[in-house]
Amino acid sequence: MKLKTKLTLFNAISKLVIVVLFVLLVPVLIKNISRSYVDNNLIKQKNKFLQIVKTRGIKNYIPDGETYGSYYLPLKEEYLTIENDTVPGHFADNIKNERRLVERDTIEYRILSHTFKLNNKQYLLEIGKSIATLDETSTPLQNIAFGVLVIMILLTILADLFYTNRVLRPLGLIIKTKLIGQKFPKFGSYKEVKTSTSDFQYLDISIHQMIETIEAAFQKEREFISNASHELMTPISILQSKIENMFEREDIVDELKVRLLEMQKILNRLKSITKTLLLISQIENEQFLKEDKISISELLQEVNDEISVRLADKNLTFDILIPQDVVLVNVNKFLIFNLFFNLVNNAIKYNKVDGEIVITTEHENGNLIVNITDSGIGISTEDMPFIFNRFKKFRQSMQQDSFGLGLPIVKSIATFHHIKIEVDSVKDLGSNFRLIFPAEVIE
Amino acid sequence: MNVLIIEDEEALAHELEIFLTNHNYVTDVCYNGRSASEKIGTSLYDFILIDLGLPDYDGLDLLKEAKKNNPDAACIILTARAEVYDRVRGLDLGADDYLPKPFSLLELQSRMQAIMRRKFGLKQSIVELGDFLINLTDRVITCGDTAVSSITKKEFDLIAYLILHKNRTLTRTQLSEHIWGSVINDDYDSNYIDAHVKNIRKKLNVYAPPDWLETVRGLGYKVKMNT
Repeated sequence: MKLKTKLTLFNAISKLVIVVLFVLLVPVLIKNISRSYVDNNLIKQKNKFLQIVKTRGIKNYIPDGETYGSYYLPLKEEYLTIENDTVPGHFADNIKNERRLVERDTIEYRILSHTFKLNNKQYLLEIGKSIATLDETSTPLQNIAFGVLVIMILLTILADLFYTNRVLRPLGLIIKTKLIGQKFPKFGSYKEVKTSTSDFQYLDISIHQMIETIEAAFQKEREFISNASHELMTPISILQSKIENMFEREDIVDELKVRLLEMQKILNRLKSITKTLLLISQIENEQFLKEDKISISELLQEVNDEISVRLADKNLTFDILIPQDVVLVNVNKFLIFNLFFNLVNNAIKYNKVDGEIVITTEHENGNLIVNITDSGIGISTEDMPFIFNRFKKFRQSMQQDSFGLGLPIVKSIATFHHIKIEVDSVKDLGSNFRLIFPAEVIE
Repeated sequence: MNVLIIEDEEALAHELEIFLTNHNYVTDVCYNGRSASEKIGTSLYDFILIDLGLPDYDGLDLLKEAKKNNPDAACIILTARAEVYDRVRGLDLGADDYLPKPFSLLELQSRMQAIMRRKFGLKQSIVELGDFLINLTDRVITCGDTAVSSITKKEFDLIAYLILHKNRTLTRTQLSEHIWGSVINDDYDSNYIDAHVKNIRKKLNVYAPPDWLETVRGLGYKVKMNT
């Protein structure tokens, strides 16, 4: 998951949790607050009442001859009763919720009960406040609180989103331009990603330094191979000429000539390796032009002409099932020829007697795909990742006269032309090399 | 035929000298650009072999001088710098051929002969071998009145190369270098030459026995021809 997605998700979830907590807690809180407010109020009223009774006497509230006096507000939301408490020793001073039947309405009240003595008589005072009126005030309060919260949360979410977006943009840019957009081992020039976050600055400069190091190492390797193979050409040339001149001498006996011939063979092997390495380095240094236009079927016919004796040697069938009008443009003919030659040569080398090689084409998403399928010995799964490595030889190919540069040539020619290679193989059944030519080289 | 060899590697220059002298050329050797420039200015040659990698001189400048002072000479560039750019420039400046090092002396000789045929306008080069007439210019083989059409391009290349170096044993390595030299692949030894020769014999035998195509046991093949 991307860092930005993670942060956004965390952001949203944490806000949601806050909202849920709030929704759960607010009614309880508000209820408690309003209850304690009401209770305070009731106690204040009680104290006031007692004060009045003290100074003016109780007669105002209990008419003479009566034992009971009650006073309701017109809508019964509040009431006050006072009565003679006839239960001796009864004592009450509390506040609780109770239902009262008032003129056939059952109303729930918050009721303060208080007993007091006056003129040797015991009285019970009750002051009540309807709970419904309490709720009436707390509900809008809750709604307002909730609304304000939602607005605040939305605002912080927006602010968070905006800020994370802004602060993470350089990271996205680094990933996009420095890591995803890069074609290994060809890197563009360094462009600094503008950011005030020092971690990102450090990341950016570190990636750049690593790229530079890799590039320098690559460049050195390429130069080394190029120089080394060039330097080897002249001594090889001298040895080759010496052997050829000696071979022609009449006075050299056949036994020595056979040994000269062996030397020539070995020198030829050295020469092939050097030439191949030089070719690979020349391709990697882009010293070839891509200006040729070629018909694939004609080119494969040329490959066939070069290689027919090897096909015949193993009695292989070679089918080129490609229409004449499949034409490549902006390619290097010499290189593309060598690409196919090496693939077909491998298909021959690792084939079985009486086997077959089939080459087909198909179009897919604007790309041209050339399939080279053989009925050979195949490539085992554990060898597969290494088949394009230089000088890599596998046990099954040991009996072949090769030095492990066939597929590396194929690989560098393909990379040079932006051709992708996919390999499928089943051990003992055969291999399929899929060349995916990009639209830019198809006519 | 006078040949000027310009090559700073003395060992290689020496081998070139031996080879060409053996094949009846008259040779002059220069190990540096300055002396080569003098020779080019004072003597006339039929062939000038120029190594591009001289320490004191740009080989391409020598080529220009040669074109000016020795306009009839055929110039062949020999170089270890197999860069495409050099090849194009060399041929643009009027070089007749270009041989990247390492090259086979036989290949050099066959290039020189090809240039000679071009320069002297030899229209037809026909060789008689047993009952066969081999036309190297039109690349046709005939036996009596019938043309041998079954011979492939590669097979003809092989016959032509053997004829060019007649009465000399050519090794499989030399032959495969000639006919597959332009292909870069990872076979370092090719025994496919045997298969080619076998096919050639089979195809020619339909018309007449090709006795002139000899196997030299353990060494290679040769075309035997009376001179």
